[in-house]
Amino acid sequence: MKGIFPAVLLIFAVLFPFLFRDYWLYVATISLYYAILASSWSMLAGHVGLISFAHAAFAGIGAYTSALLVIHQGLPVPVSVLVGALVAALFGLGIGALTLRMRGPYLALTTLGFSELFRISITAEYGLTQGSIGLKVPLMIEGDRVLSYYTGLALFVLTVVTLTGVLRSRVGLFLVAMREDEDGASTRGINTVYYRLVAFVLTSAFAGLAGGFYAHVVGLVSPQMTRIGEMGLILAMSVFGGLESLLGAALGAIILQGLTEYLRIFTEWRLAIFGALVLFTLKLAPEGVLPRAYVYAERLLDRWLGRA
Amino acid sequence: MLFLSQLANALVIGTLYALMSLGLSLIFGVLKLVNFAHGEALMVGGYLFYVLASLQLPLPLALLFSTPLLFLFGVLLERIFLRTPYQRKMARYDEYVILVTFALGIFLQNLAFPIFGPYNRQAPSLFNRTIRLGELIVGGDRMSGALVSFATIGILIFFLYRTSLGKGLRAVAQNPGAASIVGIKVLRMRSVAFGIGITLAGVAGALFGPIFLVNPEMGTSFAVKAFVIVVLGGMGSVKGTIFGAYGLAIVESFGSILLPDPTRSLAYKDAYGLLLLMLVLLVRPQGLFGEKERPA
Repeated sequence: MKGIFPAVLLIFAVLFPFLFRDYWLYVATISLYYAILASSWSMLAGHVGLISFAHAAFAGIGAYTSALLVIHQGLPVPVSVLVGALVAALFGLGIGALTLRMRGPYLALTTLGFSELFRISITAEYGLTQGSIGLKVPLMIEGDRVLSYYTGLALFVLTVVTLTGVLRSRVGLFLVAMREDEDGASTRGINTVYYRLVAFVLTSAFAGLAGGFYAHVVGLVSPQMTRIGEMGLILAMSVFGGLESLLGAALGAIILQGLTEYLRIFTEWRLAIFGALVLFTLKLAPEGVLPRAYVYAERLLDRWLGRA
Repeated sequence: MLFLSQLANALVIGTLYALMSLGLSLIFGVLKLVNFAHGEALMVGGYLFYVLASLQLPLPLALLFSTPLLFLFGVLLERIFLRTPYQRKMARYDEYVILVTFALGIFLQNLAFPIFGPYNRQAPSLFNRTIRLGELIVGGDRMSGALVSFATIGILIFFLYRTSLGKGLRAVAQNPGAASIVGIKVLRMRSVAFGIGITLAGVAGALFGPIFLVNPEMGTSFAVKAFVIVVLGGMGSVKGTIFGAYGLAIVESFGSILLPDPTRSLAYKDAYGLLLLMLVLLVRPQGLFGEKERPA
């Protein structure tokens, strides 16, 4: 049962461009961007127990780095996107080295400050970034929507497979041990600061990767993508989908992004609704709405099969 | 002259910063959590004052009426979102409170957008005339804001150190277990602390309203400043928070005349605080007046 679900999802995702075209395919591509962000953020928040508010900012770093490299240096898109991810990882390393020595909410505080500072600087440095108007970016693969979608899907699968691999390895065990009992883990000889830093840098790199991809799909990067509201969206997706499940968070991203398209009519209320959704989820089903629905569905299925 | 006027400005703004940060510090001290919705509490206070003032209420009365509403709002939030997880010793409580307060902030901010629109609103100020002290000119809105903040901080300190309720709050901040043994109701103190914290932020928002403008996103930059101040001074320390507030105001005030380009220097005013934060984290992570964290 456990292995079937992701396989069915993957088959559906691969077949998606044959079922939907143009608009909904584009929506799906964008939701893959959010899926990468939400699943990497949920690994950090759910499995490592680190809450960073700079995930959207790291995506912005990836996007701007890649955009500027393509525009000014003429680098090919795949290379510049990778460099963008690397730069995001470097920023993650800097912030992590500064804050991860301490326990408590220092990471959350510093990343929130950093995220604001980043948004302010890219808005102010008009000469380089065109400020709040945004920077026009060349599209990837000549704007071919189907191939862009598959690129996004490949990046998403890469993210989930890599992060799941890390979580299932020795390092993953260390991370969970640290989350449950930090002093216990460190007396067993785990260098807790080091492994926290590794997890933070890794997830920051994936955020940067997602950002670079997004830039060349949408064709425009602007300070909008690093707003606090964007971070709220990523948080809502992860919490709704379940913080302790990478796939759940990704599904949460896809569902909420799909909802966003339906809710376009009352755009203004969208983030307020999602904010309320997070508050309700945290209060009533802190493990996430999707994991709970999954358990109910399984129970229902068992009962149904049992009677048949 | 530039030096003097910048200094005067720093002192005025610093007093306002102290007011908003003391709320954050009090909440941290008693509830042991960082309220990531603090900026939005400030925004709510700003709008509340704006609405009450546009009902033609006399301004001092508007300010006075907004305080019990803000306190009630804070107590309500604590009861709904923070009490049960604390009581039931929820697993991974630390992450939960960060998520829930941040989500609350996002919710309030985006509730304000459709209700009030994205525009800047200017709330009327308590006192309009500019004040001249020799060559020094201070805006009446700033001056009255600073004076009201100063008085509020005075009342708060008196309350915390001289009344039994205030002593109860400080006892819970120091040691909740011991406090409950001597008969202090820890849960009630937590509600009260959150209510007072939100009220302080809201009053600061009302006083900021005439000086900076009121808009749904005003909270974020002030919240970041309050975080910087509280980390700078040492989390949970009243003295440290006040020093931190003036420290940040001075750094911002003099930092902004360092860059020649005026639009840039205005944009990067917020950056100085962050640089200060990074410096503190590097050199003295427990803050100027904080106690060093002891591993269990």
